[in-house]
Amino acid sequence: MIRYIFQRILSVLPTLIGVTFVIFMFQRLIPGDPAIAMLGEHATDESIERIREQLGLNRPLFLDREALVDGDLQGFFDSQYMRYMARLSRLDLGDSIHRRIPVMETLKLRFPATVELSLLSMIIAVIIGIPVGIVSASRRNTAIDSISMVGSLIGVSMPIFWLGIMEIMLFAVILQWLPAGARLSTGIEIESITNLVLIDSLITGNMEGFVDAISHIAMPAVALATIPMGIIARMTRSSMLDVLQEDYIRTAKAKGLGGRLVLFRHALKNAALPVVTIIGLQAGTLLAGAVLTETIFSWPGIGRWIYDAILGRDYPIVQGGTLLIAIVFLGVNFLVDILYALLDPRIRYK
Amino acid sequence: MVKITPEEITVTDFAVREHRSLWGDAWKRLLSSNTARLGMFIVVLFVSSATFSHYFWKYEPKKDLDYSLKLKAPIFIPTEEIPSVHPFGTDKLGRDIFRRVVHGGWNSLRVGIVAVGISLFFGGTIGLLSGFYETVTMTTTERLVLFGTAGFLMGSLSAWIADQYFQLILYAGLGLAAGYYQDLFKGKFLRMVTFGILGALFSAVPGLFISPTVAVICGLWGLLSGVLLSRPLDGKFFSNVMMRLMDIVLSFPGYLLAIAIVAFLGPGLGKGMIAIGVVGIPIYARLTRSVVLAIIHKEYILAAQSVGESHGRIIFRHITPNILSPIIVQTTMGLASAILSAAALGFLGLGAIPPEPEWGAMLGESYRYLTSGAWWAVMFPGLAIMLSVLGFNLLGDGLRDALDPKLRT
Repeated sequence: MIRYIFQRILSVLPTLIGVTFVIFMFQRLIPGDPAIAMLGEHATDESIERIREQLGLNRPLFLDREALVDGDLQGFFDSQYMRYMARLSRLDLGDSIHRRIPVMETLKLRFPATVELSLLSMIIAVIIGIPVGIVSASRRNTAIDSISMVGSLIGVSMPIFWLGIMEIMLFAVILQWLPAGARLSTGIEIESITNLVLIDSLITGNMEGFVDAISHIAMPAVALATIPMGIIARMTRSSMLDVLQEDYIRTAKAKGLGGRLVLFRHALKNAALPVVTIIGLQAGTLLAGAVLTETIFSWPGIGRWIYDAILGRDYPIVQGGTLLIAIVFLGVNFLVDILYALLDPRIRYK
Repeated sequence: MVKITPEEITVTDFAVREHRSLWGDAWKRLLSSNTARLGMFIVVLFVSSATFSHYFWKYEPKKDLDYSLKLKAPIFIPTEEIPSVHPFGTDKLGRDIFRRVVHGGWNSLRVGIVAVGISLFFGGTIGLLSGFYETVTMTTTERLVLFGTAGFLMGSLSAWIADQYFQLILYAGLGLAAGYYQDLFKGKFLRMVTFGILGALFSAVPGLFISPTVAVICGLWGLLSGVLLSRPLDGKFFSNVMMRLMDIVLSFPGYLLAIAIVAFLGPGLGKGMIAIGVVGIPIYARLTRSVVLAIIHKEYILAAQSVGESHGRIIFRHITPNILSPIIVQTTMGLASAILSAAALGFLGLGAIPPEPEWGAMLGESYRYLTSGAWWAVMFPGLAIMLSVLGFNLLGDGLRDALDPKLRT
């Protein structure tokens, strides 16, 4: 098992380096000079040059061939990319160009908001998706099956930004039951321990804060949960249907075991593998793909933040945020791989 | 007692059963499914209304403006106040939303089709070649192409450092030599040493004319390249490199990557198509590779190989037709997700440029005056997105069931 884990780590590493490379390249290729973006159109040439020097933007992208021709080996490797990698190894993501605060600090504040939102969505998706899939599979080709499968397909086809808008329209504008955006109402304060407001308010016994937090997170979480819910329900159904055809299910039934026992003890356990995979994949996508939901509900998470940074040419934020998302995504996939090998020994020995 | 006359009995001759082709069978099965029929109906409805309106129902978005009809709720019977029919209501500029939704379909569907076309073409090619050469041994010519390209690519770094572009030819030549003399010192350490030294010399000697440090760095790079080229590179190597590249693209969340690409290219419908298309490439590459790997050991491929058919012919005549069904299913589903992504880009203001009608962009505009209570302005464009995506998904689901050979009796 340890050998397998080690192998997986080795195979993730080149991907990770490739990811830093792409992230670095992309942000430098986007048109627009960050020095001008910082100082405005009317800045003098000298001040622009000074800022470029400060940010290291005057260095070549990858390697400095002129320094090498002059015999300066250290200068040869002193490039924007190498400096970026050196800073990364110290966990320094640089400062935001516009706001001049370290990216890492804002990340620490914003990332928990995204984690909280996606975790809650994932919980909703799993709690509804898996039972729907099981019921569909066990009542194959009945009306219940058709309805829940068309329902989950509608979930998969849902433009979540539209669903979010419709939710706001109904619950915030027309009925005025729930607030339309943000994480907490103004005036409500919750002591931050984990930075996940739901958990913090529970730990500190702040019921008023908890209710307020729930009322804020409900709409975005439901909107974000629709697509994974549909995907999980469909996956559970098809995986259950595959397993229900197996011989051991027939044997269990022939032994006279009750339908429910066979369904949960024998079928569900064996059908869990692909479902676990898809949940892992969806968790990674959710964490990352909350851009639209966060935009609509003005949720102070990283998706919205990166989107603004792309439009504002704030390179360090884009690089730091995207890198974090890619790492989380790769990390989740890695965990799913390990879990898979734990659950199915055949994979380890391949 | 019931009497049966011989005329009433129809005899089925089992021996001369009517000929049924794979596709004919699949078509019949597709038609027999309720959900697939619903999907097909939705798809045909959207495609034909968009195409028809584009050619026969002229609409000029730049001139469409009428403040007297601003934000009217859906109206079916003309009144004195509002003399025209607006089944979906009007938006903030007094434009008929029904008209814009129908015309917007042309843009949204077009983005979907072109984007999927891009992903399918590049992803399919990469997947097909990776899957094929991962198992089938390369011919000499193919190996030479692989080695030559590898040498050329590695040489580009050294050539750039030394600013001597003839080094590209030297490196490519080294690659070709390594590919051609595969048996030279085969499996021995000497092979690595020979090509390593050759590479170092090819790079360091020209580098000396620039400066000693350049010579050292280029020499080291040449040594590394030579050692790599001395290895028995094959299709597996190519496939590994390609799949790692796809992994890198896949490790970025789709939306974010598309947004970044559009930010790089600038907003617009065409740029959106490219962005969504690029993001989709790895999905098709992985799928194609896996289906190729699933059929490559089949007897008919072996037979084609043993009668000496060329690799190109095997790929086009034997492999491509046999991997079509999963690809068709994925393409249909891919159209759904491409339309969804296009709408998302439009919603974020990165797709179609206003006043061009596009579903996502329409939602993005009406989202700003949400508090005015004009539910129809956000309801109908979104409903159009959802229905068209649902249509393609239903059709894709139906196609998967129809094309699944396990169900064939």
